[in-house]
Amino acid sequence: MTGRFLLLAAALAAALLFATIAGHDWASPARLASALAGAQDMESRLLLVWRIPRVLAAALVGALLGLGGAIFQGVFRNPLAEPYLLGASGGAAIGATIALLVPLGLPGGPALAALSFLGAWGATWLVLVVSGLHGRPDTAGLLLAGVAVAAMLGALRSFLMLALSDDTVNLQVVLSWTLGGIQTPDLAGLLLLAGLVAAGLLFAIRLAHGLDLLGLGDEQAFAFGLDPARFARRAVLVGAAVVAAAVAFGGLVAFIGLIAPHLARWWIGLRHRALMPASALIGAALVAVCDGIARAVLPPAEIPLGLVTALIGGPFFLLLLARRLRA
Amino acid sequence: MRVECRDLGVKAGETALLEGLSLSFDAPALVGILGPNGAGKSTLLRCLAGYRRPSRGEVLWNGRPLAAWQAGERGAICGYCPQQFEPAWDYSVAEIVALGRDRNLTDARTLDEILRSNGVDPLARRRWSQLSGGERARTMLAATLSTEPPLVLADEPGASLDMRHRLALLERLKAYAAAGRALVIVVMHDLDLALRFCDRLVLLDGGKVTADKPAQEMVTEPAFEAAFQLRLQTHPRRVDRDWVLGLG
Repeated sequence: MTGRFLLLAAALAAALLFATIAGHDWASPARLASALAGAQDMESRLLLVWRIPRVLAAALVGALLGLGGAIFQGVFRNPLAEPYLLGASGGAAIGATIALLVPLGLPGGPALAALSFLGAWGATWLVLVVSGLHGRPDTAGLLLAGVAVAAMLGALRSFLMLALSDDTVNLQVVLSWTLGGIQTPDLAGLLLLAGLVAAGLLFAIRLAHGLDLLGLGDEQAFAFGLDPARFARRAVLVGAAVVAAAVAFGGLVAFIGLIAPHLARWWIGLRHRALMPASALIGAALVAVCDGIARAVLPPAEIPLGLVTALIGGPFFLLLLARRLRA
Repeated sequence: MRVECRDLGVKAGETALLEGLSLSFDAPALVGILGPNGAGKSTLLRCLAGYRRPSRGEVLWNGRPLAAWQAGERGAICGYCPQQFEPAWDYSVAEIVALGRDRNLTDARTLDEILRSNGVDPLARRRWSQLSGGERARTMLAATLSTEPPLVLADEPGASLDMRHRLALLERLKAYAAAGRALVIVVMHDLDLALRFCDRLVLLDGGKVTADKPAQEMVTEPAFEAAFQLRLQTHPRRVDRDWVLGLG
């Protein structure tokens, strides 16, 4: 198990290295080394001030997405549950849109965080209630409920953007969210993001045993000393907070929350105590690489991160769906 | 261990599943709950386990209402084995038994010891999807008994077992009740096995207790005939019943 985690860490390191080198102008490893050693030339400073924080932010957002996906799959007891597909990300985006575009007279940062969280939480509950809170919702019902909620929220978001924005700059910011994209954070932002990842992991680990039990089904989980309904409420709260944080920093990034837990389950196993951190590591590596590709593929322009993950993750999802529906 | 229910009633919509049951059970005993399909056996067991909240009346464990028990303390002393179990993830036998064992962490035995003493150590690494019905039942029984709980509630644990394993299961439960001074309540359909192994039989019919007696007295109980004759009219199996009676 430890060996497998070390390999994951190595994979993440490789992904970070690739992402740091990649860009519309590729940096050589030697250039990167001299920048890290403190060289003062322009290119080194650009690497240090712009690219490295961006890569770290991408990895941290990826960790949140991987973690959120693992929690969602655990709560919904379905390997196709994903925060993006189930509308949770869309809910968070609505919250963020309102915080950005509506003059609420609230301080920007906290209002954005709170509204994103409320959006993600509300959307998740809506899907849970529609698809059947107790027992185990079937895959088709769950995904349909998620698709409907996501479509509604998408329409609502577009409406809000059209109705409320008279300022094109804000509209630009919101649009970039819709497509998913990591902004380069300042040091405070980066530290906040890292703190959120640490807190998310900490809370998630405390859910691990309950998620394992929940996977046995409500009645058996109850038999083994869990109150399934109460636990699910707690887990949804943590899951929604993690998704909201991911959306606030990285926008709507599809499918990472699906792929990362899948790979983690295959590589580490089913028990959530190991599965969730592994999923976070894999999510971090995936988003770092995808963000690198997004920056490098069409220089000097940058394509939205969400497009890259959807192009890679979409087929993966379809494959899984086909296998599951046939089973 | 003492389990009681007082004036227990359960309704699903307008239909009454259980109507005013008052029963008490004391350890050590192997109690069989019998009755035709739809008599309310599983509902009663779910209520006794606390999984189903009754519409009226209450269930007490050791004199304390179930509502006052925390989920964790409840799990620690009770082994509840529901009829249906279909895990969302393809857990291995060792993982399922470990999840069962973790509900009471005072047990010093290692997982290997628990697997061995329950006879499922050869299956330990097998995944749920690779198990036969009988292996699944044995796995769930191992997980249920892994903490050696003073109360065991099992809903047709032998349903998917062949005759030999069914006999072994009841022998195991009988010995478990006697040796551990435990209270074991089992919903079952095998009348012959029930008459042979149980200390006490509770007969449910239409959501009511129609007989509640030591097993050996049940054979001559008119309500016992009446309960199952309801089924026998449409599926006459006179021979079976004679054989059951002959067993006593």
